Amino acid sequence: MNKLDPPLPAKPTDQLVVEDLHLQYGDNPILKGVSMTLNPGEVVALLGASGSGKTTLLRSVAGLEQPSRGKISIGQAVLYDSEAGVDMAVEKRNLGLVFQSYALWPHRSVFDNVAYSLRLRGIAVSEIGQRVDQALTNLGLGALAKRLPHQLSGGQQQRVAIARALVYNPPVVLMDEPLSNLDAKLREEARAWLRELIVRLGLSALVVTHDQTEAMAMSDKILLLNFGKIEQQGTPEDMYNRPQTQFTAEFMGSNNHLPGKVTQVVDGRALLEGEGWQLWGAVRGALKIGDAATGIIRLERTRIADGDGDNRLRTEVVTGMFLGDRKEQLFKLGALRIRCYGHLPAGSRASFIELPPDDLWIFANEAG
Amino acid sequence: MTVRSFSFPRSTVVVITALVILTPLSLIFWQSFLNAPFFNPAKHLGFDAYRFIFDDPDFWNAFLNSVVIAAGMVTIALPLGAALAFLLTRTDLPGQRIIEVLVLVPVFISPMVLAFGYVVAMGPVGFYSLWAKAIVGEVPWNVYSLTSIAVIAGLTHVPHVYLYSSAALKSLGSDVEEAARVVGANPLRVALNVSLPMTAPALFYAAVLVFFLGFELFGLPLVLGDPEGHLVLSTYLYKLTNKLGTPSYHLMAAVAVCIVAVTFPLVLLQRWLLKTSGKYVSVKGKATRQKLLPLGGWKWIALAIVALWLLFTIVVPISGIALRAFVEQWGEGIALTEVLTLENFTQVFSQSDQVRAIVNTFLIGTIGGGLAVACYTAIGLAGHRQRGGVAKVLDYLVLIPRAIPGLLAGLAFLWIFLFVPGLKELRNTVFSVWLAYTVVWLAYGLRLISGALLQIGPELEESARTVGASSAQVLRQVTIPLIRFGLLASWLLVFMIFEREYSTGVYLLGQGTEVIGSMLVSLWGAGAIDQVAALSLINIALVALGLGLALRFGVRLHE
Repeated sequence: MNKLDPPLPAKPTDQLVVEDLHLQYGDNPILKGVSMTLNPGEVVALLGASGSGKTTLLRSVAGLEQPSRGKISIGQAVLYDSEAGVDMAVEKRNLGLVFQSYALWPHRSVFDNVAYSLRLRGIAVSEIGQRVDQALTNLGLGALAKRLPHQLSGGQQQRVAIARALVYNPPVVLMDEPLSNLDAKLREEARAWLRELIVRLGLSALVVTHDQTEAMAMSDKILLLNFGKIEQQGTPEDMYNRPQTQFTAEFMGSNNHLPGKVTQVVDGRALLEGEGWQLWGAVRGALKIGDAATGIIRLERTRIADGDGDNRLRTEVVTGMFLGDRKEQLFKLGALRIRCYGHLPAGSRASFIELPPDDLWIFANEAG
Repeated sequence: MTVRSFSFPRSTVVVITALVILTPLSLIFWQSFLNAPFFNPAKHLGFDAYRFIFDDPDFWNAFLNSVVIAAGMVTIALPLGAALAFLLTRTDLPGQRIIEVLVLVPVFISPMVLAFGYVVAMGPVGFYSLWAKAIVGEVPWNVYSLTSIAVIAGLTHVPHVYLYSSAALKSLGSDVEEAARVVGANPLRVALNVSLPMTAPALFYAAVLVFFLGFELFGLPLVLGDPEGHLVLSTYLYKLTNKLGTPSYHLMAAVAVCIVAVTFPLVLLQRWLLKTSGKYVSVKGKATRQKLLPLGGWKWIALAIVALWLLFTIVVPISGIALRAFVEQWGEGIALTEVLTLENFTQVFSQSDQVRAIVNTFLIGTIGGGLAVACYTAIGLAGHRQRGGVAKVLDYLVLIPRAIPGLLAGLAFLWIFLFVPGLKELRNTVFSVWLAYTVVWLAYGLRLISGALLQIGPELEESARTVGASSAQVLRQVTIPLIRFGLLASWLLVFMIFEREYSTGVYLLGQGTEVIGSMLVSLWGAGAIDQVAALSLINIALVALGLGLALRFGVRLHE
C-alpha cells in the first residue's frame, strides 16, 4: 500500500436484508413485496424506470418512508419489522445516504457539512478534525474545506455529499441517483471514479439509478424493479446476456424489435414469421405455435452480411448515422425498421443483414 | 385583415404612478419645513416645526413608546410565529387545515375593531374581566398598560411572522433536513441546526416587518393607550390638532417625516434582505414527499398552546364585540339577559352618515377593489419582463407607499384634494378615499399581481411572439388570460383589505366620504360605544363575507 494513501476505514461485515417489503401512499401501492440482500463489500444497483419504486425502496431502508409490511435488518440490528412493531428512527439507523440533489447544508462550510455527523456522535474535537481531513483527502477535496457549498462545482458538491455520508463509517452507504446531477461528459468519469472509490474503501453500497449502463458499470448485482416488484436480479452479465423477460431484455440494452407470429417450435428454437420475412430465434419463456411474439436482438449482435444465407434478411438501406466511434445504419423491410452498427459500401441501396438465432430472443406477447 | 391596434401605454402608467405616489409625499416633506400651513400666505421656510416637536417631551415619550412596543412585538411574534410555522408545516399537529385558516383571521380584522374588542372583553368592566372577577375576586389584568398594548400587538402580529416563516419552510427542500436525520440528528436538532439557520433570512425579514408595523401602529394604541395616556408616534400626530387648537399642519408633517425617516430605511433593509437571501436558494434541494414529524404526546400540549393563542386573538375580542353589539349597556351587577337589545343596530341604520359609511365601505371594497386591482395590474404589466430604467424606477417607486402609514397618506391626500385646483369637487366623494386606499395598499396589491405574473413561464409568452404575435397581442391574448384567476383572487383579497382599512380614511372623513373604519375612529372619540359595537360587528361580517368567498373558491390567503 502506498505510504501516502490515508488509512482505510474498517471493512463492513454486516449483511443488509430486506424481506417482503410493502409500501403504499394511500391506496396506491408503490412496493409490492420486495426482498433483497446486500452482502458486505458488495454494490447492488436498484434499477428501474421512474415510478418503479427504486427510490422508495432506498428511502425505506434509510427510514425516510413508512412501509406498511415487511422487515429490514442489518446484521443483528432490526431497522424495521412490521410484525414486531419495530421502526427505528432515521437518526438511529447509522446509515450513509447520498442524496440525488446532494442536499448539502448551504449555511455550513464543506468541513462543517462533513463534521456534523461526528459532532452529533460526541467525538472529540481533535479526532473530528483528523477524520474529516482524512475523508476529504480520500475524496480529493483537501483544499476546499473552508468553502461554502455554493462556491463549489457540481462534481465537487457530489464529492462533499459522499464524504459526508462516509465519514462515520456506516455499514451500508445508500446512493440515490448519485450521478444524475452531473453533466453528461462528467458523468462517465465520475462513474469510474465512484466505482474505484467503492472498491478501494470496500464499501457496501446500495445505488439507485435509472441508467442501465451506470448500473452495470458500478455494481456487482442489479435488481431491476418494475412497478414495485423485482423483475429480475443478477450480475450485470446475467442481466444483459440472459434476460428472463421481455421487460428485462428491453431495459438492459439497445434493441431491434420484430413483431411476428410463431409458426414452428423445435428444440429450444422457434420460427418467427412476419410480413415478408421469417427468422429462427431462441425461445425465452413459454412459447407455442400460433403465439403472437416479439423477437428482440441487441443492436451490436445484428450484423451486416455480404450475401444471402441462414437467418439473413434482404433489406433496403434507409440512412446512416455517424456516431464518432462507429456508424449506425438504419434498414427497412416492409414495416420493419432494423438498426445495426457497421459500414456499407458507398451508394448501397440494399443489403443483407444477419440476425444470429442464438442472439434473437423470442418472447410471447402478453395476453391483452 | 385589420388588426386592432393596442399599444400598452407603459410610460403613461409609470408617470401617473410616480405622480400619485410622489406628490403627497413631497407635499408632506415641503410642509414639514414651513412654519405655518402651506396655504397660509405668511408661511416661510425653516426648522420651526422640527424645533417645536423636538422640544416637546410628549414627542420623545411617544417615540420611546413606539420603539418599546415595536420591540416587544418582535420579541413576542417572532418565536411564536416561527414555532407555529414549524408545527403547521413539519409536524402531524391535528386540525392543521382549520388552524391554517384561523391563523390568518387577525390579519384581516381591522386593528381598530380588535382594539375595541379587547376593551369590551377585557377592559376594567369587560365581559371576561367581570367573569374573571367573579371567580378570583379582582380583574387579574389591565389592558390599558403599555405592556398589555405590546403583548396584544405582538400576539395579533404572529400571523405575519407565520406567513414568512412557513413560506420559507415550505420552499426549504426536505432533503437537507432528511440528510441531517440520516447522519444522526434527532428532529429537535434538525430544527435547530438546519431548519432554523436556513430560514433565518426569512425570520429576520419578518422581524423587520413586524418592527416596522409596530412603528406604524395606530388603532390599538389609540383605543388602548388613551385611558392611561400612553402615546405613540401616530397617536401623538393625531392628537396634535387638539393640543394646539389650530390646524398645525406643519407640526403634523414634521412628525410624519420623522416616522417615514424610521420606516423607509426599514423597507430598504427588507428589500436588501430579500436579495441576499437568494444566496441560499441557489443550492436549494429537491422537495420530496415529506414525512411529517410525529409529535406523540406533545401534540396535545402544542395544540393547547395554539388554541390558547387563537382564543386570545380571535375568540375573546370578537365575542366581546358580538356581545356588546346586542346589549344596551354593560357593567358590574348587570345581568346579561336583562339588557339584550337590537337598539344599537336600529340606531346605526337611522343615522344617514352611518348608513352611508356602510354603503361606501361595501362599494369601496367591491367596485373600488376591482378598480384598484386594474390599476395594480397596469403597473405590474408595465414592469413585466422589463429590464433597465423603467423597471428599476417602478421597483423603487412602489416601495415608497409601504413606508407611509395610512394615517399620513390620508392627511397628504386631504391636502391635495383641498388645494390642488380641479380636485376640490372630488374631495367630498368616495373617490378621494379610494385613491388614498389604492396608493396605501399599492405595494401589497403589486405583490399579489406579480405573484400571479411569476406563475407564467416566459416561454409561453416567447412562443407567442415567435409565432407572430405583437407584444400587445401577447399581453391581451396570452398574459392576461393566464393570470385571470390570479386577478380575481387579488380582487377578493383587496376587498378584504379595503373593508378592514381605517386609518387612511381618518383625515378624509367628511360628508360623503364616510367609511366604517374612519367612522369607528370618530365615533370612538365621541364615546358612542353602542354604535361602535354595532358598526364593528357589521365590519367583521363584511370581512367574513370576503373570507368565506375566498375559502369557497380556494384562494390562497397570502402571496
